[in-house]
Amino acid sequence: MKLEFKNVLPYPLVDYKHDKQSVWSSEFKIEFPQKVLLNASSGKGKSTFINTVFGLRKDYSGEIIWDGKNIAEFGMNDWTNLRRDTFSVVFQDLQLFPELTIWENLELKNALTNHKTAAEIQVMLSLLGIGDRKDQITKTLSLGQQQRVAIIRALLQPFKLLLMDEPFSHLDENNAALALDLIAAETDMNNAGFILSSLGSTHGFKYDSELKL
Amino acid sequence: MLKKILFKNSSTFQFLFATIGAFIGLTALLLSVQLILDVKSFHSNEEELFGPNSVVIQKKVTKLSTIGLNSTAFTKRDIEELNKKPFITDVAPFQSADFKVGISEVEGDGLPHFYADMFFQAIPNRFMDIDVDWDWNEDSEFIPIVLPRDFIMIINYGFAQSQGLSQISEDLLMQARLKIHLEGNGQKKEMIGKVVGFSHKISSILVPESFLSQANEKYGKGVNLDPNRIFITTKDNSYGELDQLMNKMNLDVSESAIDVAKIKTIIAVVIGIFGIASVLIMLLSLMGFVQYSQLVLSRAAYEIQTLLRIGYSIEQIVKTFIRQLSVIFGIITFSAIAIMVLIKLFIVDIWLTNNGITIAGTSIFITLMVAIFCFLLFIISNYLNIKKTVNKLGAAE
Repeated sequence: MKLEFKNVLPYPLVDYKHDKQSVWSSEFKIEFPQKVLLNASSGKGKSTFINTVFGLRKDYSGEIIWDGKNIAEFGMNDWTNLRRDTFSVVFQDLQLFPELTIWENLELKNALTNHKTAAEIQVMLSLLGIGDRKDQITKTLSLGQQQRVAIIRALLQPFKLLLMDEPFSHLDENNAALALDLIAAETDMNNAGFILSSLGSTHGFKYDSELKL
Repeated sequence: MLKKILFKNSSTFQFLFATIGAFIGLTALLLSVQLILDVKSFHSNEEELFGPNSVVIQKKVTKLSTIGLNSTAFTKRDIEELNKKPFITDVAPFQSADFKVGISEVEGDGLPHFYADMFFQAIPNRFMDIDVDWDWNEDSEFIPIVLPRDFIMIINYGFAQSQGLSQISEDLLMQARLKIHLEGNGQKKEMIGKVVGFSHKISSILVPESFLSQANEKYGKGVNLDPNRIFITTKDNSYGELDQLMNKMNLDVSESAIDVAKIKTIIAVVIGIFGIASVLIMLLSLMGFVQYSQLVLSRAAYEIQTLLRIGYSIEQIVKTFIRQLSVIFGIITFSAIAIMVLIKLFIVDIWLTNNGITIAGTSIFITLMVAIFCFLLFIISNYLNIKKTVNKLGAAE
């Protein structure tokens, strides 16, 4: 699996001066499986990068090639299928269903592919320290707890590339490390890769490579 | 669970409004469809004999006609004129007996002894819509006859009472044979007749045309009189035109004979208006439902977009909506059918029966088809609307 960027430049970033090593307006390839850190300060387009690769933003020039195919040519059905078994995502704003319980949020995602058993989901919740909260309504949780729910949700499907947009912004280093261990293990199990955006911290993890914006 | 998130913001008020509207509209629509079908099948006992929309007309008897200055007979020109009217589909003059007729009981058949002078008339067979074999020939066992309904009234409430005889029912009279006395041209003959029906319209004894022609030849004086009564068949719902023509030509028509035609016309108009109104209510409630789902969709915009982002397909989301609406509208349709049937059975049919109108073949099949059509129309229009909106939300992410 290969992700290629050919002179990609999001329209909102046109007037911005980009460095030589920046992913914008340059050509590069990432071969997966590989664990990638996308490190940049605020406002350089981390969320834009994640959302563009995930097919949510189409306002860019250039070409993004996934596995030899230009993603601009994918239709709604293609994206639906890709989001079930190829791309998974942790949004910066999480995008959970606030009225549902943690368990319902996870079940809703897992029901699409039945990727994990209930017991496996329970283990993941316990690993991240929210095992006793599964029947709590999501909006009543702290942001840090919600962030962990969003991370687990992203792991409840087969994937080749896991995109994560500042997934640990509300977690302490200890919990972030626990989460990253789980993510790395699941990524290896899927023989997949991830791109994790961060505001600078590496969370003490050894990445295979690093992208700059 | 999909249902839970997609409908979490649905407004109960809007929903209630649209549901009640759809229910009332559909019930009214089905009721008017059923009533229109029922009205079409209205028939009086007369129609069992003569088919629908047949009327006997005659010229009014005036003082002038009594002293012989004004004939009540129809001339050939009169008949041609009637024939030209677009709403009259068939015209036939009555053939009258040209000899003396009397009837009496056949001993041993259960009727009291009686003798009555009578008068035979005949109309062409095509007007006779009767179950029994109306044709007559020399080999026939008996002469089928249709008696005026008043005849049995006279026997039962006049004759029988004053003579201390037992009353007879229509059924008994139809089972018994009657002796027919024919006299004329110096000849006399007794034949056997059997009552096969009763009529309000014709106040003489109706016999098959084939019989009357032969009898006239044999016992008649051979005079060919202009007919003074005419049998006509009109188109459906042409009561108004018939009434106008009657006035213009100074004609008479027995009121009871046109009652059904009159009722049919009036009810058809009333129900027609009711039906149009109910179609409008239906369309409004359909719009109400489309708006309701639009509202639900726009309130669930975040949920729909998020579902699409985590891998749910547009079809899955649309299906969830449609399944829910199908259940709602299925209940509405079912209740509307139930209410329609209840109103029909316990209000309309009873009213009609009490007013002497019978309904033939009260099938609700067509009404059910209309209900299913409305259901499908509802589901399809909502499906298209929801699909369009969800697609838009999917494209906007």
